[in-house]
This record gives sequence, C-alpha cells and structure tokens, in this order.
Amino acid sequence: MEVQKLTTDVVVIGGGGAACRAAIEVAENGLDCIMVDKGRPGRSGATPCALWSIQAPFGPRGRDERDTPEQFFADMVNGGHFIGDQNIVEIVAFNACDRILDLERYGVHFKKYDDGRFFQTPMPGQTYPRSCFMFENGQHMSTVLAKEVSRHKNIKVMKDFFAYWLLKSKDAVVGIVGIDMINGRIVVVNAKNTILATGGYTSLWGFSDNPPTLTGDGIPMAFRVGADIVDLEFNQYYGTDVIWPPSVRGTVVLYELMIDEFADGEIRDKYGVPIIKKPLPIRDEAIKTIFNVIKEGRGTEHGGVLFDITKSPKGVEVARDVFKEMTPKHYQFLIDAAGLDLAKTPLEVAPASHYQCGGIYINEKGESTVKGLYSCGEAAGNFQGANRIAGTALTDTQTMGAQAGGCAAKDAKKKDLIPVDQKDLDLALDVIKEIVANKTKKINPAVVKQEILETMDKYIAPFRDEKGMNKGLSIIEDLKEELPKIYAPADINKYNLDLTEAIETKMMIESAELTFGSALFRKESRGHHNRTDYPEEDNKNWRCHTVVSNKNGKPEYSKRAVIYTRMKPED
Amino acid sequence: MAKEKIKAKILRFDPDKDKQPYFQDYDIDVNGPVSISELLALIRRNIDSTLAFRTYKCYKGSCQTCVVRYNGKVVKACATQIMPNSEITLEPAAGGKVVRDLVVDFAAM
Ligand SMILES: Cc1cc2nc3c(=O)[nH]c(=O)nc-3n(C[C@H](O)[C@H](O)[C@H](O)COP(=O)(O)OP(=O)(O)OC[C@H]3O[C@@H](n4cnc5c(N)ncnc54)[C@H](O)[C@@H]3O)c2cc1C
Repeated sequence: MEVQKLTTDVVVIGGGGAACRAAIEVAENGLDCIMVDKGRPGRSGATPCALWSIQAPFGPRGRDERDTPEQFFADMVNGGHFIGDQNIVEIVAFNACDRILDLERYGVHFKKYDDGRFFQTPMPGQTYPRSCFMFENGQHMSTVLAKEVSRHKNIKVMKDFFAYWLLKSKDAVVGIVGIDMINGRIVVVNAKNTILATGGYTSLWGFSDNPPTLTGDGIPMAFRVGADIVDLEFNQYYGTDVIWPPSVRGTVVLYELMIDEFADGEIRDKYGVPIIKKPLPIRDEAIKTIFNVIKEGRGTEHGGVLFDITKSPKGVEVARDVFKEMTPKHYQFLIDAAGLDLAKTPLEVAPASHYQCGGIYINEKGESTVKGLYSCGEAAGNFQGANRIAGTALTDTQTMGAQAGGCAAKDAKKKDLIPVDQKDLDLALDVIKEIVANKTKKINPAVVKQEILETMDKYIAPFRDEKGMNKGLSIIEDLKEELPKIYAPADINKYNLDLTEAIETKMMIESAELTFGSALFRKESRGHHNRTDYPEEDNKNWRCHTVVSNKNGKPEYSKRAVIYTRMKPED
Repeated sequence: MAKEKIKAKILRFDPDKDKQPYFQDYDIDVNGPVSISELLALIRRNIDSTLAFRTYKCYKGSCQTCVVRYNGKVVKACATQIMPNSEITLEPAAGGKVVRDLVVDFAAM
C-alpha cells in the first residue's frame, strides 16, 4: 500500500464554517496548517445548508439597543435547559460580535439599516431580535470563508480527502490517516495538534435535512483514541422539513417564518386544524407537538403535518414574499425539483434530524480530554446543552472555531512534533486491507448504511423508551456482526466510494451504539431527549452531562457536573 | 406499488483502467418521478455500487457540487426531475478533469 507522509504544525479535519475559521486562526498565528475535507471546502458540510441567521448581540449597533452579550449568554443557557457548559457559552456570547465583523471583513454581505446598524430578525428563544441577516445565506458564508482560507499561503487544502483515523503515540494524538480520493493514495499527516471540525452526525438518521455525507466520523475517531464524548442523546430535530415527494425530501421550510411578524401561517393537522399556538414556542416544544399529532393519527398520508401559508391573514402574496425574500433558494428549489409552490399548496412536513447538540467533550480552549486533540463547531459537544436555539450554531463555528485554532496554534508553538507510532499506523492500514480483501460473502456498504438509517429513524426519534431502544440497539449489534463481510473492490483507486462508504458504515455503527447507550443512560426527559418511560425533567438527578468514556475499547457511561460561571440554576 | 422504469445511459471512465470513456446502460425501477440525484443513489444501492458521483446535497439547488450533463445539457442533479419510462443520458460536466465516472475535479471549487 502506497502511503504518502506529510508533516505540519496543525491539521484541521473539515471544510465547513468551524474548520475554515480554525485554519485561518492557525495561519494568522504564523503556523503551517493542513486542512482536509471529505468534500470541497465551501461546498461541504452543513454550513452551506444554513439560512441567513447568525446570532450576535450587537445592541446599539443592531436592532435593539437593550441587547447585550450577557443576555445572549442567558438565552443560550436557558434554551439549553441549563446543561451547557458556561465557560464555553461565554466564549460564544462574548466574542460573537467580533467574529461577525471578521466575516464581514472577509466579504460576507449582511443586511443593514440605512444608518449602518445590523438588521436583525427575532427567533424563538431570543429575548431581543438577534439574528443577523446574511444575504444568500450559509452558502455564501461558506464560499467566502473557503476563499479566505485560500488567501493564506501557509494553509494547504486537501479536497476530497476522507480522514478516518486519529494517530496516537503514547498518550497524545499526533495527526491523522486518510484517503486522498482524487488519486486513491493513503496519506498520513503528522502534526503537533489536530483539530476535529467534522460537523454533526445528523445523517446517521434517514430523515435528515443535512447532507448525507454528515455521518459524524469525528465521534468514533475521537472515541477510539480515548476522548470523552458527551450528551449524544440530544440530537436536535427540526420541526418542519419536507417529507414528500422524495425529490425534495429533507428540504427545510422555516418554522420560524410562520410567526406573525413574518408570514403568519399555520401548521395544521390533516383536517386543517392549527396545532401550534402563537407566539411560536422554541423548537423542542414545537417538535413534540408535531410528533404527537402524527402519532395520534392526525398526520398526512406520508406521515407529516401541513405547512400552510395559503390562508395567512396577511394575504398569500405577502406571506409568499416572506419566503421568497428570506429563503429564496429553498422556495425556488421546491418548484424546480418537485413542482411545489408553497403559495399554492400546503407542504407536507415532519420533524427531521437537524443538529447534534452533543459531541466531543471540550473545554473553553476547544481542547478534548486527550492531548493534542481539539474540536470545534457541531462536532464538539458540551455547550448547547439539551437544545439549541436558532442562529447559535453558525456563531459557534466562528467563535469556537477561532478559539480552538488560536489555542491549538499557541500550544503547538511550545512543543516538538511527536513521530507517528508505526504500530498504530499499521492498525489504520489494516482497516482498509480488511475491506478490500477477497471474501466469499460480500455485502454492499450502501445496503448496511440504509439499515442503520432506518433503525435510527424508528427507534431513536425524539420520543423513545427503554424497550424500543433495546430493540434498536440489538439490530445495530446484529449489523455489527456483518461488518467483516463489507466489501469494496481493491482495483479501484480513484473516488472509491465503496471503500469510503465501508469505513463510514463501520463508524456509523459505533456512533449508533454510543447514541443508544447515552439515551438509555439518561433516565429523564429534557430538551430533545423525550423518554416516554421517564416523561419528567428531573433536575435533582439529571441536570448534568452524560459522558461516554473509552474503557479498554468499551463504552462506559457516567454523569459529569455542568460548569456554571455566571448563572447558577435558581432552585 | 407498481414499478416503473427509467433507462439511463451513463458515461463511465476510470483513467487507471480504461483507454476510453464508454457508456453503460442501467434499467432502474422507480415509483414515480425522481431527481437525478436519487436515481444515481438507487443505482449505487440496488444495481452497481462502483458507479462514482458526488453524494453531497445542499437541498436547495445552490452548491453546484452535483452538476452533471443530462441529455447534453449541464443541470443540477438534485433539482432535475426525471419522469418514469424515460430514457436519459448522463455524462460528467465540464469544468475540470474527470476523476472517475461522473466525478469532476472542478477547478473552480
Ligand atoms: C438546513 C439547515 C439549516 C441551518 N440553518 C442554520 C442557521 O440559519 N443558523 C445557524 O446558526 N445554524 C444553522 N444550521 C446549523 C449550522 O449550519 C451547522 O451547525 C454548522 O454549519 C456546522 O458547521 P461545522 O463547521 O461545525 O460543520 P459542517 O459545516 O457540517 O462541516 C463539517 C465538515 O467536515 C467535513 N468532514 C466530515 N467528515 C470528514 C472526514 N471523515 N474527513 C474529512 N472531512 C470530513 C465535511 O465535508 C465538512 O466540510 C442549519 C443546519 C441545516 C442542516
């Protein structure tokens, strides 16, 4: 097997908002950086999917002068049901404005009032309207960031590069192993520090509004090297994603635009009865209502509810123009890909997997619990708590992205490169050898993947109980037995999707196990984790994190105290 | 559900093995209209997993990663619907070197 070896100061895995921002910060600290992306930076991950909304408490420089970083901080802590670590929430809330000014400097266009203040929209969960408005949404932000990355000579970007292994020498992470899909080569990047910004694992579920490539490879990679993983039971659903027809399944239509300030539309059951009272509640509550309506049999033919602006008291044209103006791409896409005009027909929508609140356990510097390994963005875990409020994810990518990049760079300046441990590298190469080895029974990874997706959709939706989860977990365990039969052809070098998908599938099985384990461990309901067998929020026993640690290769679940800095719970 | 079919001719090329690109025919079972993206996913899952194309999706037709040449015209695979019982041709889009099959190493991104 041909192995290419590269060295650098800091290697960043990912090409989304968090990875790009981290790489820029490393470069601006004067160090060398290699950034690897399974897709194309600027056109990969969830960042291009995002809408206009990025929160920053601009106060007098924005829409409402009363807004402050303190208030943003409080809104995030409350929205997360008090289990977001406040040392990290502080970094997000207090650096948000500066990082958004960075974005503006890079070239992102924000909507402004005539006097130069930031235009800001209100979203559920915000005390004051705080979502800055990016013209052309997350796609624009992504391409601008990727361009900014390319301006830095000391960042080497590797596109179509599938990372699948963190290299460990003694007790530290010393880089990565991956496949350069353009030429099929196996590449080792030996680095002083590694930043994992692989995004969320929302496409571990079949019905998701995230790109299918977001299988959350970061979690099993980090878990293998001993990094603690946190709060995986809180996968956030988004309430209103199109469920039918298949060509547009997973397209988000904005629940937040149904408020009376905007379209003033209704979410209805199949009989046309409105099901959510106004003012609209934050996401986790809305989703529960929608799920219950569907469960009670009041859903549509394809298992959704109706997203209806056709009877808006403002008039359908006004309501439609809100969508045309705020989410023009989505509006047009539904017409092009499925002939659906939401001004003419209500859309069938249902809750879909949307955002991973948990992830890799980090501190306020973005450090994981293993030396040499950092994480930021959606891949990292313990700051959103049990629920994320709208517009904080993009803010997090920029604030914690810069923070992790800066801290990893400063730390790298103080240390020498630790060489790769050949034994560990051999294990990484074995993963590929086993998949391409000839075998009597061969299984197509895409088929196993499909079964994982269906199992997650069925047994670990927002409502869950012990019996169902044990069933789901046993299906995953059976699939695990099949893994040795997964096969990819050895004679394809370039863009060997069978090979990358086979490795992804192995990692998805591990993520699924840890997710079921975490959700079985937490015996209460909170935020996006609704146990029908433990329906109450239990602050006495469970206002804490769920942590999964790697004990000799086996997951061990435990509670960990939440870090409070400015706001203690009142009871 | 009654199954309908779409016939697709897809231009395949592995620069490591093939001297020339060649067309391969696929008969795909569908239930109603599908987007080109879905059609390709169906082929990989049910017929031929070695077919290479970009699987990323932005769900709003704006990222351009899925562009392909469909009956001679460059389109977004995610936003282009194919009706049952049609016969179509798919080739890689221009704009860079073909990595394999429909995957292009786009110079612009
Ligand atoms: C439809 C939708 C709308 C949204 N709207 C908003 C919004 O309006 N406001 C808001 O704040 N948030 C929004 N979000 C959430 C937000 O977009 C994401 O949380 C955020 O963009 C995550 O950024 P990230 O950089 O952490 O990860 P991502 O942008 O997901 O990037 C992850 C990167 O890692 C790469 N990668 C993954 N695995 C590997 C691997 N094995 N090897 C190499 N590379 C790898 C991927 O290719 C990608 O480049 C939305 C999300 C969705 C899906």
